[in-house]
Amino acid sequence: MGRSVVGIESTAHTFSVAVASIGGKILSDVREVYTPPEGSGIHPYLASLSHVKAAPRVLRDALLTSGVAQGDIDAVAYSMGPGLGPCLRVGAVVARSLALSLAKPIVPVNHAIGHIELGCLLTATEDPLVLLVSGGHSMVVAFSYGRWRVLGETLDLTLGQLLDQFGRHAGLSSPCGMQVEGAASKSSRFIPLPYTVKGNDVSFSGILTTAKKLLDGGEGFEDICFSIQETAFAMMVEVTERALAFTGKKEVMIVGGVAANRRLARMMELMTRRHSASFHVVPLRFSGDCGSQIAWTGHLAHSKGVTAPVEEALTRQSWRLDQVDVPWRD
Amino acid sequence: MPSAASEGDMRVIYRGAEADLLRGRWCGSDAVFKFRRPFIYRLKVLDDAIRRQRTAREAEMIHDAKRSGARTPLLYFVDPANALIVMQWVKGRRLKEAVSSLPPEGLERVFAELGGEVARLHASGIMHGDLTTSNVLLDNDDDKSNDKELTLIDFGLAIRTTRLEDRAVDLRLAKETLTGAHSEVASKAYAALLEGYGGEVGPGEVRDVTRQVAEIERRGRYARVE
Repeated sequence: MGRSVVGIESTAHTFSVAVASIGGKILSDVREVYTPPEGSGIHPYLASLSHVKAAPRVLRDALLTSGVAQGDIDAVAYSMGPGLGPCLRVGAVVARSLALSLAKPIVPVNHAIGHIELGCLLTATEDPLVLLVSGGHSMVVAFSYGRWRVLGETLDLTLGQLLDQFGRHAGLSSPCGMQVEGAASKSSRFIPLPYTVKGNDVSFSGILTTAKKLLDGGEGFEDICFSIQETAFAMMVEVTERALAFTGKKEVMIVGGVAANRRLARMMELMTRRHSASFHVVPLRFSGDCGSQIAWTGHLAHSKGVTAPVEEALTRQSWRLDQVDVPWRD
Repeated sequence: MPSAASEGDMRVIYRGAEADLLRGRWCGSDAVFKFRRPFIYRLKVLDDAIRRQRTAREAEMIHDAKRSGARTPLLYFVDPANALIVMQWVKGRRLKEAVSSLPPEGLERVFAELGGEVARLHASGIMHGDLTTSNVLLDNDDDKSNDKELTLIDFGLAIRTTRLEDRAVDLRLAKETLTGAHSEVASKAYAALLEGYGGEVGPGEVRDVTRQVAEIERRGRYARVE
């Protein structure tokens, strides 16, 4: 099978282990997703318990189905952050245990950069402007001078949180993105919501507050879902377009859990068409959190000598991607 | 291009994210026709409302900004329903394109001047709302004279406000743009901008506003709480 890197992901609701070859093939990717009760969000402690239970099976399955021999493993990579503390710690413990038992180096990976690098691998993009939209992030980033730089982001909620928190208010169970998208596709009745763009940044809190009030006031769930998507997505695409015009990048890529939303991808595609840029969406199976993003980015980092001693292979709940040096890109 | 016609030929001089700029003539003067294009990805009812609102706001704010002493283009004609503004053509190039070719002392002078301009705008109760290096025109860039002149453009996101938070949002965007797009000179340029800002409003005010910038950054997602 050749040399490979193991990646462990546990920042939020997903516990996943994957094996990626250093040539860029995903050899296995096994996941267990914690689902909170209807109407509530991720309880960090309960999610971490779910991860603890899932870890042995997920790890075993990922290693066995990859077909990789122990000697072929170059390194063990894990999501060091950002994310939920209790969840992150499960991944870190599994990573340290595995690395010690296999006598392999440990590679800490920033989860957000993991989304981006896996996206670049799978869409064969080299230097894209990236829209990273998930439960944890809503930002526009581009690579420049050794780091991924933020060109615009949400000032409060992420798109994922907006969809989830509205969905939960309506009694759904997180993650609600797909259900909100399904409901939105059944309506074309637009109700105005606060459209808040501040320079290159956006704010979604006004949309959430207004949408909840509308639902409590008897407006139709589908109409509100439609209006939320049309408003919030247009805001996000607008700031992406500003960043695209500003940076003049030739590729645009959308990654993260909300990249699975077809309306958002469609709007992004329509926008990029006007600029001479190609448009790429990370494949659905790899848009959400997964071990592959960590395994592949772990390999990239390891190839430039990024490792951590066991006693420093801890977690960082707050760790912005623009604080991470990226030696594997020029 | 709806409603307002140039005298003679018009040519596109810039296609921005939000608007197309065309150069033409208006009542005997060189003019820029700024047309906010419809966004095909945006729902029409929403798109129409936003373009109309931003056109009207931009015209108001360009006008008001002049009272602060800031250099902004003269307005010739405004048509919110068609998202069109006709304004004075201003010589110069975008600061964005000039940044990399400016010598260090020139860079600091330009950003200090910009800081002063922004401070005067803020002191008169206006937040620009989109302080990127794309929205600053730099005149006299080619010669060696010291009297470089800046013109602020694109007031579509400007608001009337005196809140510390809004002033800090303005400066934070400038900082974000510098770090994101001009990383190699970001810290020098931003320091000069703050110096120019402070020179206009005083050290106490600049301390308050930079403290608020730090506060906004702390609120940022996954920002480390120091």
